[in-house]
Amino acid sequence: MSKGRHEPADILSLVAEKANSLPLPERRAFLLRGLALAGAAAAGPVLAAVDPDDALPPNIPPWTRSLGRGVVTVPYGVPSEFEANVIRRTVPWLTANNISSISFTPLPELKGIITPNGLVFERYHAGVPDIDPDQHRLMIHGLVERPLVLTMNDLMRFPSVSVIRFIECPANGGMEWRGAQMEALQFTHGMLSCCEWTGVPLSVLLEEVGLKKGAAWVLAEGADGAAMTRSIPLEKALDDTLVVYAQNGEALRPEQGYPVRLLNPGWEGNTSVKWLRRLEIGDQPWYQREETSKYTDLMPDGRARKFSFTQETNSVITFPCPEKPLTQRGRYEIEGLAWSGRGRIRSVDISLDGGVNWRRAELKGLVLPKALTRFSFMWDWDGSPALLQSRAIDETGYVQPTLTQLRAVRGVESIYHKNSIHTWRLAETGEVTNVQID
Amino acid sequence: MSRSTSRGFLPAQICAGVLGVLCVGFAPLTLAADSTAVPEGPSIGPDVAAVEISLAFRPKPDPQRVGYYGFGETATPAMIAGWDIDVRPDGRGLPPGSGSVADGEGLYEEKCAACHGTFGEGEGRWPMIAGGFDTLTESRPEKTVGSYWPYASTLWDYVHRAMPFYEPQSLADDEVYAIVAYVLYLNDLVEDDFVLTRANLATIEMPNRDGFFVDPRPDVKNVACMKDCKDPKEIQITGDSTELGVTPVEHFKGEAEAAGATAAAVDPNLGQNVYQQACATCHKGGLAGAPIVGDQAQWRSRVAQGMGVLADNAINGYQGSVGYMPPKGGQVQLTDDEVTAAVRYMIENSSD
Ligand code: HEC
Ligand code: HEC
Repeated sequence: MSKGRHEPADILSLVAEKANSLPLPERRAFLLRGLALAGAAAAGPVLAAVDPDDALPPNIPPWTRSLGRGVVTVPYGVPSEFEANVIRRTVPWLTANNISSISFTPLPELKGIITPNGLVFERYHAGVPDIDPDQHRLMIHGLVERPLVLTMNDLMRFPSVSVIRFIECPANGGMEWRGAQMEALQFTHGMLSCCEWTGVPLSVLLEEVGLKKGAAWVLAEGADGAAMTRSIPLEKALDDTLVVYAQNGEALRPEQGYPVRLLNPGWEGNTSVKWLRRLEIGDQPWYQREETSKYTDLMPDGRARKFSFTQETNSVITFPCPEKPLTQRGRYEIEGLAWSGRGRIRSVDISLDGGVNWRRAELKGLVLPKALTRFSFMWDWDGSPALLQSRAIDETGYVQPTLTQLRAVRGVESIYHKNSIHTWRLAETGEVTNVQID
Repeated sequence: MSRSTSRGFLPAQICAGVLGVLCVGFAPLTLAADSTAVPEGPSIGPDVAAVEISLAFRPKPDPQRVGYYGFGETATPAMIAGWDIDVRPDGRGLPPGSGSVADGEGLYEEKCAACHGTFGEGEGRWPMIAGGFDTLTESRPEKTVGSYWPYASTLWDYVHRAMPFYEPQSLADDEVYAIVAYVLYLNDLVEDDFVLTRANLATIEMPNRDGFFVDPRPDVKNVACMKDCKDPKEIQITGDSTELGVTPVEHFKGEAEAAGATAAAVDPNLGQNVYQQACATCHKGGLAGAPIVGDQAQWRSRVAQGMGVLADNAINGYQGSVGYMPPKGGQVQLTDDEVTAAVRYMIENSSD
């Protein structure tokens, strides 16, 4: 450290020393000047590149010897610049363009069960609209006593509920029906997210408008350029469907349907229509494009399943994974996520040998219905190769199937609802690869 | 998002208000009901159940509750008419109007063909919307309006609400009738003198109308075996994602290793385009003994050689046991990357 120039920390101690010797009013003025001085000096060392060794013990790192940014320098906080790798990504060749396309949540980087709003996977059919909430209306009509048009303020006056629920695109993993294709966890399972959602139970709104005799289905429609539509059975609508306007404590992100979307917990993400503008009540389904051409599951006999709403029990090991290999032998916590559209996760088993033997993992933190559930398994890795798998069981007793079992019934052309046990091959080098085994 | 009006109702007031039913949704009663649903799993304590608000109440439509809150304004028939654009299989929701195949042809050429192809075959990766008959049981089925869609109403509804892609809801009703008539014609479902109307749309019988059935899941039953569940010697690795190299991986593997994948990621259609222009002549039909793209049996052992060998053979050419593969298919102006992209596309479409 050069003695000729005062480092910010020195200045601060000088300032403190001097200030204590002054009468109060003068002390204040002096302190303010001193702080400005220290701030100016701080700008130099902090911005200059830090020689890594300078920060490590026994040295005192520069950020300990200087001041940081003041309040509201960044009025809406953003992640550290060192987290620039934690972003949504796409696989460009999956779609013809990026307007009707998909991006993936960086699952390897996430902790706990909540997906931060900026990392929730994206799926648009006509891009993200920028909707002025004052100009937005939700219309409810059809087989109802009182057809209504609600403003956002109207909607927010209804008593609200908040729930933690996952949203998963039914095409999650769909690129892997024929074989292992995606080389990263972000792409094998990243059409998945879990947030705390706040809004109004659809049942409350349906009571408010009064259902007429014969009401059996609800058509939900978006206000985007795709005017996306899905038919929802009334039974679900009266059960746990919500009309939500907030996620993780703040207004929905535009990508997630700002200012308001539907949330059908545990169901195909596509049914949770974003930018919701209209709910029509009818006596039969509408057979819209998204429930005929898409989101139907083609079976080997050439016939297709329709209204396959439920996201069945699924799980995946998130550490280690291709993006997060093991770096040395020793003790590791294998972690992962499990979820079920039918309710809570009851248990998760781990296999290290490709499904020959299984051991029970621990469930960590909150275990909520239709929410991501984190599991953990402590392991001493001796450097041998392994085939890592997780197998989730939900509270209905359903056991996550193998890919061989799914293929035996469904073939490989059904695109959606591939919830099979996933295999990571761990090499002696610690490298992890997405493989399929028989 | 601002709440300019404060919320006037607390849960307690709701309960005091009209219905017991709603109280079940918000009040402690729920927790009792909820805890019965807690499974025996080790990690779920009562505290977990307590933080979870169940929404499992199922209010019966009750005329007394209708309009209880009184928020919002009435949706007038005029407002509804403007927004209610959905059409059902029985034709409900169709506006008056009509359009002929002849009128549709010009409109389709102008507004649709650039993406969906002159014959509905789809350009590049844009959706194919015609043809594909009798492919639903095949590998790589072609699900089009004609081969897959159960109802003609869906086509009218979708084109009207979402197409053309770059200008949704720009078509006049008669234009939609005409274009839909033409797309049906491209699918051999109507004759060239056909005129589609509000009255006859619901009478069109689509070939695959009986091709759908309601989801029967759960359809597989795995058991939670814990020990010696299979013979370790019989475990086979049937697929390895790194063999294809079609995923962006530079964010965790570094630039050098990711080079192959990046090339594929740059132009999503590169492989397909090169294939069509330089390789399909032989590899589509098996000319000169070339292995046919899509025929898995012909490709299995070739793919097993690995991407490196296949790409080398395609770039440099070789005399094989069944025929001669000319260097770059005879089109030497192609770069190595372009040929490699085509090989990747061919494998992708020929592996299970
Ligand atoms: C700029 C390219 C483009 C143009 C022009 C275009 N479309 Fe499309 N079309 C698309 C895309 C992209 C999709 C898929 C959208 C999605 O993912 O939801 C699509 C979907 C469709 C589908 C459904 C396909 C399926 O398998 O589900 C039909 C039918 C269709 N378009 C008809 C038309 C008609 C008719 C026109 C002309 C009026 C038209 N399109 C113009 C790009 C285009
Ligand atoms: C004039 C016909 C012809 C054209 C054009 C052609 N191929 Fe081939 N290709 C063949 C034949 C014949 C074989 C089989 C040779 C053998 O295995 O005996 C073959 C084999 C291959 C193989 C398998 C190599 C292996 O080791 O098994 C690949 C990969 C391939 N071609 C790629 C391409 C690509 C890419 C193009 C376009 C850039 C292309 N081919 C154009 C005739 C052709």
